Amino acid sequence: MPPNSIDRTSSQSSHGRQWMMPNVAVGAFILAMIALVWLLQKRDFDQQTAALERDAQWTEQTLRVNMQSDEDFLQGLAREAADGQIDGARFRARSAQYLATNPQLSGIAWLDANRSMREIEPPSAGGGGSGGSVAHPEQLRGLAAARDSGQPTYSRTYISKDTGPTFDLFVPIHRGRDFLGAMVATYPVSGLLRHLVPEWFSSKYHLSFTGAGNRLFAENSAAPPRNEGLTYSLDIVPPGNGIRMRVGAYRVDTSIPKDLPTLLIVGLSLLVTWSLLSLRNNLARRIRAEDALRAESNFRKAMEESMPTGMRAIDMQGRITYVNAAFCNMVGRRQEELIGASAPFPYWIPEDVAGQAETPPRSLASEARYGSHGGIESIYRRKNGERFDVRVYEAPLVDASGRQAGWMASIHDITEQRRARAELEASHQRFMTVLDGLDTAIYVADLNADEILFANKAFKNIYGYDAVGRNCWQVTSACHPEPARFIAAARKLAPHQTPLELYDIELQNGLNGRWYQLRERAIQWVDGGVVRMEIATDITDRMIMEEVNSRQMERLQQTSRLITMGEMASSLAHELNQPLAAIANYNMGCVNRLQANDYRREELLAAMQKASVQAERAGKIIRRVRDFVKKSEPKRGAVAIAEIIEEVIGFAETDVRKAGVRIVVSVPADLPAAYADKIMIEQVVLNLVKNGIEAMHDTPRGERELDISARANGKDFIEVNVADRGPGVPAGQSERLFAPFYTTKPEGMGMGLNICRSIIEFHRGRLWTVANSGGGSVFSFTLPLDPQ
Amino acid sequence: MTESKVYIVDDDDAMRDSLKWLLESRGLKVELYPSGEAFLGAFSGDLRGCLVLDVRMPGMSGMDLYARLKARASNLPVIFITGHGDVPMAVSALKKGAADFIEKPFSDQDMVRLIESCLKQDRAAAAKRAEKASLARNMESLTQREREVLGLIVDGKLNKQIADDLGISIKTVEVHRSRVMEKMGADSVAELVQLVLKLRT
Repeated sequence: MPPNSIDRTSSQSSHGRQWMMPNVAVGAFILAMIALVWLLQKRDFDQQTAALERDAQWTEQTLRVNMQSDEDFLQGLAREAADGQIDGARFRARSAQYLATNPQLSGIAWLDANRSMREIEPPSAGGGGSGGSVAHPEQLRGLAAARDSGQPTYSRTYISKDTGPTFDLFVPIHRGRDFLGAMVATYPVSGLLRHLVPEWFSSKYHLSFTGAGNRLFAENSAAPPRNEGLTYSLDIVPPGNGIRMRVGAYRVDTSIPKDLPTLLIVGLSLLVTWSLLSLRNNLARRIRAEDALRAESNFRKAMEESMPTGMRAIDMQGRITYVNAAFCNMVGRRQEELIGASAPFPYWIPEDVAGQAETPPRSLASEARYGSHGGIESIYRRKNGERFDVRVYEAPLVDASGRQAGWMASIHDITEQRRARAELEASHQRFMTVLDGLDTAIYVADLNADEILFANKAFKNIYGYDAVGRNCWQVTSACHPEPARFIAAARKLAPHQTPLELYDIELQNGLNGRWYQLRERAIQWVDGGVVRMEIATDITDRMIMEEVNSRQMERLQQTSRLITMGEMASSLAHELNQPLAAIANYNMGCVNRLQANDYRREELLAAMQKASVQAERAGKIIRRVRDFVKKSEPKRGAVAIAEIIEEVIGFAETDVRKAGVRIVVSVPADLPAAYADKIMIEQVVLNLVKNGIEAMHDTPRGERELDISARANGKDFIEVNVADRGPGVPAGQSERLFAPFYTTKPEGMGMGLNICRSIIEFHRGRLWTVANSGGGSVFSFTLPLDPQ
Repeated sequence: MTESKVYIVDDDDAMRDSLKWLLESRGLKVELYPSGEAFLGAFSGDLRGCLVLDVRMPGMSGMDLYARLKARASNLPVIFITGHGDVPMAVSALKKGAADFIEKPFSDQDMVRLIESCLKQDRAAAAKRAEKASLARNMESLTQREREVLGLIVDGKLNKQIADDLGISIKTVEVHRSRVMEKMGADSVAELVQLVLKLRT
């Protein structure tokens, strides 16, 4: 398939644009997902942080509330002590009671103004019970601050040998201005952690208390917090005592993992991306397929449009669904006129609308009838009414699902083809007519197989109508030259050596007796091979004509003597006239002079002498004629009368035809030959025939018949009769006919019958005439059978 | 005007000589020529008499000579001598205007009678030609105006009409008329008309 490169490139660039949006969408989708995940993470973190802070503050609050209540309790004690309402026992009892409910306090002590312990509860606290003193510098500093300010004061944290990091609350006891001591509550930091921080908090968070320089005082677990970032620290009251609370979140082990949504989102995004990519690939494949399809379709369309063949599709309802340009051109209608049209279609010829054979078959089974084998021929009509012949090939149109959707037909305009075929036929017909019209026989034979390939009518007339296909030598056995003379050489001929004449001869056909001029040539036949073509021209008539001509020439020569004799007679008459007239003149001149008696003797003498000279001249002329006649002595021999009659008829043919005379000849086959000079007798017969024809000048054309017959006359003679149907010879005139110079014709000299009689009598025969019983006259002569 | 003679053209010496002998015995003047060419050489338009021609001659035949003479406007009557079989030729010669023909052998009487009648015919024709010639000469002598007047007279018009036609006075017409009569040698109008008609034929 020829790809359309230009189209391809442009479609590719458009594909790039096409692909931008999905790509951007996929990218945006991924970015959105990432942002979403980040936001979720951040919100989660913030929530956790907020929860952490809340919990931490809540814990700090708890601590503060507890410590405040401790402060309040201690202040109560301090007031009672100032008022002196309390004694050691009572102190101990109240403290023990208080300590029982507030385990965060390791002990409560009652210091006097000298910082020595008056009372301590529990007694174990403060190392040795009452009597002890506050020793640690931090305790002293705290006590001093409390005494000076008169306010409850927390000491800074110090490390107690019993409780580790510890701080104290000093509440001064004043009576008026007198400082009476202080109530001290001891807080071990670990106790705070252990008793004031609820259990749920400890399990959730890592909680630690640190002092100055990040010194760790206590922590609820050795396990480190999950995330260092997720921590919160704050100073616990009272400010300045240097304890800092630090809260860190542990890993939260919920039933749903915290990252599951993120993972789900990421996973789904990947899935979506993957599916988008595969969709894209799929689309790309599809587009490639579409491109290929479009190219194929364009290719087919171009093919269709370029075709002179009309294409037309109809659906199963018989409506036209498609026509190509060629079809539109063919029927001279626009596409819009045709699409959707149903039978009768506008291009059907009106008289055939009912019976249009073109309706397609409705089942595949009958498709064979219409299939591509031969199509059907029909006549269509252009819009302008012009008609043309078409050949329609129909095939079922099958849709993608394999069901038949209609019929596709290709329509060929075969008008030109038909015309060409008709012309070819006509030309072949003409060619055959010409060939068959020839008198010349023509045949063509295979050079090697000698089979007759072609023969014209004239040939078939001679050799039979089954000549073609048979062996040429058998067929033409009656008339062909010896094949051996040329056939071996001819069989070696190559096509480029043709045409070549093989022979040109004249032969007589043994069967019909006619003569033919046979010309044979080697020519190149229609199939490219070399064949022999023989042209046989019937030359019988020409041969006969030639023979007749030569015989006439011969006869002309032979009869010249007789003709000369005839001329002789004529010129004899003229020549004799001269001296005779002169003699008469001389003579009459003398007579006149003598009568007038007016003469001179010498004159008369001279004239008479001249007259005798003329007489002598006449004598010489006579002698010359006699000499001539003697010289042309006839040559006699046996002659067949039938032959003479035949030849004479040939001579007289022109006159016979002109006069429309029918000549009837009857000569017995066994008639013996006569002893005579053939040419002289011919002359006689010719003379009689011509006389007979001329005699019938006034006879009605249909009755002009000349009978020439011969028979035996006695045992020594034959008799020849020439009978005409003319007016006949008047009675008593018959002998005058033969007298010299007797003539009835304007141009006649009157020598004919006279000479004829002389000739016949010379032959010892007789020439006479009698009246014809059926009208006209009969001239007859006899000739002897043998010399005597 | 030359003497009236019998001119004989024949290739045969004996015929010529014997004819001369015969005709001279009847008092006729004879001149002999051996061929048509010889006669044509001697021929002039004013020869008088008659011509005796042999039809059959070598070279120029009698018929040929006759045709030549006709072409040269000869007025000589011609007698053909024909031999046997020449009759059709002689007939065609007669049709072309020859005087007569005579067939050999002929009697001297026939021949002489024929010749004499030809001579007589020639004389008459010659006289007529002479008269015509003199008339023509008279006609020549007329002036243009006189010829016009003559034409109108012959047309049968009266003097007055002639005067009107030509736009001249009657007097002048009468003068012209008398001059015409004089010049043409006519005594009356009738004679004048006859003369003019003669000239026209």
